[in-house]
Amino acid sequence: MDMETLLSYEWSMMAPEFTILIIATVLSLVDLFADKKIDRKLFGWFGAAGIGIALFFLFSQIGHEPAMILANTYRLDAFSLSFKILLLIGALLVLLMGVSYEAKGELLYRGEFYYLLMSALLGAMMMASSADLITLFVGLELLSISSYILAGTRKKSTQSNEAAMKYVINGGISSAFTLFGLSYIYGLTGSTNLADISREISNIAPENGLVLLSVAFILTFVGLAFKISTVPFQMWAPDVYQGAPIPVTVFLSVVSKTAGFVIILRVLLSVFPFAQGLEANTSLLQSMMIFISVLAGITMIAGNTVALKQRNIKRLFAYSSIAHAGYLLVPFVAFSEMMFESMWFYLAAYLLMNIGAFAVIQVMSEHSHSEDISIFAGLFYRRPWMAVMMTIFLLSLAGIPGTAGFIGKLNIFIGALFSDPSRYILAAVMMGTTVISYFYYFGVMAQMFMRPSGSAVPIRMPVGVTIAMVFCAAGTITLGLFPGVVLDFFQTQFNFAEMFY
Amino acid sequence: MADLFTYQNSYLVVVIFLALGILLPIVALSLGRLLRPNKPTEQKRTTYESGIDPFQDARVQFNARYYIFALMFVIFDVETIFLYPWAVAYEELGVFALIEMLIFVVMLLIGLIYAWKKKVLRWI
Repeated sequence: MDMETLLSYEWSMMAPEFTILIIATVLSLVDLFADKKIDRKLFGWFGAAGIGIALFFLFSQIGHEPAMILANTYRLDAFSLSFKILLLIGALLVLLMGVSYEAKGELLYRGEFYYLLMSALLGAMMMASSADLITLFVGLELLSISSYILAGTRKKSTQSNEAAMKYVINGGISSAFTLFGLSYIYGLTGSTNLADISREISNIAPENGLVLLSVAFILTFVGLAFKISTVPFQMWAPDVYQGAPIPVTVFLSVVSKTAGFVIILRVLLSVFPFAQGLEANTSLLQSMMIFISVLAGITMIAGNTVALKQRNIKRLFAYSSIAHAGYLLVPFVAFSEMMFESMWFYLAAYLLMNIGAFAVIQVMSEHSHSEDISIFAGLFYRRPWMAVMMTIFLLSLAGIPGTAGFIGKLNIFIGALFSDPSRYILAAVMMGTTVISYFYYFGVMAQMFMRPSGSAVPIRMPVGVTIAMVFCAAGTITLGLFPGVVLDFFQTQFNFAEMFY
Repeated sequence: MADLFTYQNSYLVVVIFLALGILLPIVALSLGRLLRPNKPTEQKRTTYESGIDPFQDARVQFNARYYIFALMFVIFDVETIFLYPWAVAYEELGVFALIEMLIFVVMLLIGLIYAWKKKVLRWI
């Protein structure tokens, strides 16, 4: 490659990534040289400004023709753009929460928290817009390794150390699964580029490659299931969510999970729809859907039923996030025309309601130095507005009409029933488990409205976390009452057919 | 098609090596057990430590700093290994590779600064 081709690339396509990269590098260097007395919370605001700039670049790219640079390894299309918006907004809200996080002085290296968050975000963005197995995997590992360290940032807390250790071991195992699956795909097609793979893979005759391709599919999916915390790799979630600092928990349950769905869609949809399946005239993806639908069903049931017994609020939300990952697999299984739309919308709704709920949890657990569900007792009589916002988030998570979560669930439900073939069993499981989830969501509400509060110490509400909370509450209500605004924008601006080569 | 068979068949070599690797120590040790005479004495039972009498416990604690130093060494060792082929093929690779190498070196330089400021290079 010479200088002319290098300069002929449209580098502005990568402007959001470059912004995040520069911010992360600058923050890490400044953290090393700056005086110990300087408040590291300034880094958080600096990082938030950086994400703001990256979002500006991202919005200016909307409507851009699908294009690839760097020898077809970086791809800009509607798919990557729409999901990167979610990743950036999620990370911005997490940063705002992190600025207000005190952690009883357990956060010894606060500066590290901010730049590791930025590098994890960079990894997630690379996962969204890469078109090559190598760069996809590098993005996945950048996200994973940064999150392993983030989970252990409360250095003096044994729980946090345990969480980081469990996360790194489980994560290593699942990465090995993914990589093994990807190596089969490479071995069968002779290329790591997704565009080349999607062309080559249809030439493989079923009698030769079918077994190997099925193994590749299962290994890749099972490995990536770790990132979205679905069965069979869901057991790390409660322990890690409980041990990690709350902003990191939110990051893992929202941004990391979104990135996991992005990479699953990108890899599985670029490779397996073009391979021949078990029966004639079907694709391998269609043949494998039964496997994913069983996993989705088990995930929904396991997440929602085990959550019923939880007293620790972070563990409760960990199981709830496992259940939501199960709901999000339903549109993927249904594979209707609405798949991208309903997954994107549900991820957006999940981002708002989950970050909002965790913002309230952060304020309350910092106030009472406990994570038991009883910290919410009598919240309505002490901070009525916060209780109302928490109610909005809980209703949305439960899927009650008027909130974003309801519209998201409705989209998924309709997609599952009207797809061909209709996935009514999965829709029924989703309906049933949603009803089960009412018990534990309403249990938190019962604490807020029906229990007397123990203490009268005023609850301190720091700026950052309050902004995140109000933004999420407003977003949840807006998406719930006027979903058309976002969905119309989505349908006119993003053409998902661009995703295929 | 034929390619795929060649691909699958080449794993036969791996299987043969795997079988050889497992069988060789088993056969060597069990054959040796059958052939060798067995007359143990107290002297023979002591641990062999290059001729001298064994002393102390074999499990010694190392200073953890050795490992961090070793990691640092490996990182910069790998850097030189990457720099060599680039330097040899510099004429063909041209300016693009130069920029790539500069990015690579700058990244490792930031790593070195990080290690320096985190007091990895200081031996207490």
